[in-house]
Amino acid sequence: MSFRRYLFPLTFLLFGMSFLLNLSMGSVWIPPAEMVEGIVSGTWTKNSWEQIILHYRLPKAMVAILAGIGLSVSGLQMQTFFRNPLAGPYVLGISSGAGLGVALLMLAGAAFGISLTGLNSWAIAGAGILGAGSLLALVTLVAWRVKDSMTLLIVGLMVGSAVSAVVAVLSFFSGAEALKLYTVWSMGSLGALTWSQVSILGLLILIGTLPIVGSIKSYNALLMGETYARSMGIPTTILRWWMIGSAGILAGGITAFCGPIAFLGIAVPHLARMTWKSADHRVLFPGSAALGASLLLLCDAFSHFPGWASSLPINAVTSLIGAPLVISLILKKNFSKDF
Amino acid sequence: MKKQRIALEGIGLQLGYSQEGVRKPLLEDLNFQLVAGELICLLGPNGVGKSTLIKAILGEITPWEGQLLLEQKPLSSYSIQDRAKHIAVVLTDPIYPGNLTVGQLIALGRTPHTNWLGHLGEEDRAIVEKALADTHIGYLRDARLGELSDGQRQKAMIARALAQDGAVIVLDEPTAHLDLVNRLEIMSLLREISGSQGKAILVVTHDLDIALETADRFWILNCGCPLLAGNPEDLVLSGQIQALFPSDRYRFNVARGRVEWSQEGPDFQIEGPAEQAYWVKKALVKAGITFLDQTLVITEPFGLRLGEKTFGTLEELIGEFKQG
Repeated sequence: MSFRRYLFPLTFLLFGMSFLLNLSMGSVWIPPAEMVEGIVSGTWTKNSWEQIILHYRLPKAMVAILAGIGLSVSGLQMQTFFRNPLAGPYVLGISSGAGLGVALLMLAGAAFGISLTGLNSWAIAGAGILGAGSLLALVTLVAWRVKDSMTLLIVGLMVGSAVSAVVAVLSFFSGAEALKLYTVWSMGSLGALTWSQVSILGLLILIGTLPIVGSIKSYNALLMGETYARSMGIPTTILRWWMIGSAGILAGGITAFCGPIAFLGIAVPHLARMTWKSADHRVLFPGSAALGASLLLLCDAFSHFPGWASSLPINAVTSLIGAPLVISLILKKNFSKDF
Repeated sequence: MKKQRIALEGIGLQLGYSQEGVRKPLLEDLNFQLVAGELICLLGPNGVGKSTLIKAILGEITPWEGQLLLEQKPLSSYSIQDRAKHIAVVLTDPIYPGNLTVGQLIALGRTPHTNWLGHLGEEDRAIVEKALADTHIGYLRDARLGELSDGQRQKAMIARALAQDGAVIVLDEPTAHLDLVNRLEIMSLLREISGSQGKAILVVTHDLDIALETADRFWILNCGCPLLAGNPEDLVLSGQIQALFPSDRYRFNVARGRVEWSQEGPDFQIEGPAEQAYWVKKALVKAGITFLDQTLVITEPFGLRLGEKTFGTLEELIGEFKQG
């Protein structure tokens, strides 16, 4: 059992290596050693490298780290809260709201005279945040009336489907140009953000993660179900509001800035459970955060392979890499027993 | 006589559930006292409101009328965390956090006492160790819940409730789907704990015979009747225990301490020791044999003689009747 003591140092090593690899990979390969030297000393071997790293790859890597942490931690929270191994950051339907906001801007915007070429990343993120915010308000209203968490889960999934249907109708009636733009957005992207947007995303992740960190003990008690948790003094109704708020900010915020990023939020908590073979959230939350950040960095690095003119959509890569990884782990170990 | 400390008291409770805004009362004018150091078994048919009573004690539902007093103060005046320091519970809901070790599960019982991170202090760890020792499962400390048998898991759940360190422990059918030996072990364990640690333990159970062996007090709930509380043996001797069997088909056999078909059955002529005759008659009735034209003699060593024929076992005798 003693090797488990080295798991956290090993995970941070993995994280560091993923970070460097992520920065080096791209249409131009920048050797990690020279890159570190450049960042530390400020003198770069090539002028273009400084531009690429500081203004493109470093913010992109930060977004990958932030989104990786946010989605994984939120996924773990949802799985424990709903006691459901298939739950993830998107189950409450709040991130679909972000999608709807962006769809309204891109697809229906043309009808109101908003030109597609004028859309910058601020407008897209703003529309996403507005959409996620309205869905958050809607889910809150529902949660006010519904006492049972399983009902809340079902309502969340239904709301998500309804919102997707609205987006589908919008897509049906929009022009090719707008449709292409929206489709590309829906494939996710980590790279389109400026430093100021990265800092806003960072702030959102921080705000969204704080209530989770503060409820670690409650989530451990929730492993036994809501009634037991209450019998041990955990105010589950209050916890539910924290959960909805945090999921809304994390999933909504990340979707607004990066588009939907599939898979990570469901898979990483399971990876963390299998890696640490633990149910203790004092281990699982930091573990999921570190694994989630590393995994998204690696996926992003893979999507920008050197020599390729363009990059693969991140949403496809996370699923392409993640799915076989998780399937192989599940087949090797008894998955349901671990949950 | 030692002065009794009442841990939990119900006065004139009305409990029930609402359905589409209409109140459906299940239990009315319910009075009870839960005394420290006593093991109390709550018996009664399904649907009579046992679970509703437990929910009220846990604070999950509020009584429509009457009062619940925890240590002489209204239950509703306690915060959820303070309540957890007084009342611990073992529910029927199955829990499957397979990765949790027994030690971690018991440590969860310290939840109402620890800081925001759930850090276990020296005192907390000592209490966890004591709970492991008291339930005799020290050897399971590092076993994972997914690897335990049902009986072991139930002991771990009791240890967790002990670690919560309240004066009251409520258990909802802790012996359901356990084998006979484990049922006896769990109940005698609870008796041990209530006696040695002065805890008030309320057990909902359907195991009348094991409850009779272990309980200090019975609470019998029956549809439309007030709660019947008393020393189990008193209830047996006064015949009040029959309240558990509202239909005429079953009755409590005071001589044997068990529930039986109440029908007298045919009057066979059986010769032999009374104890053996009892079982022989039982087998004949069960096999649907209604009439013996001769006296059945039980021989020594055990054998049966009916007229000219002899049988080594009851099975042979019954086989003979089945053939014709």
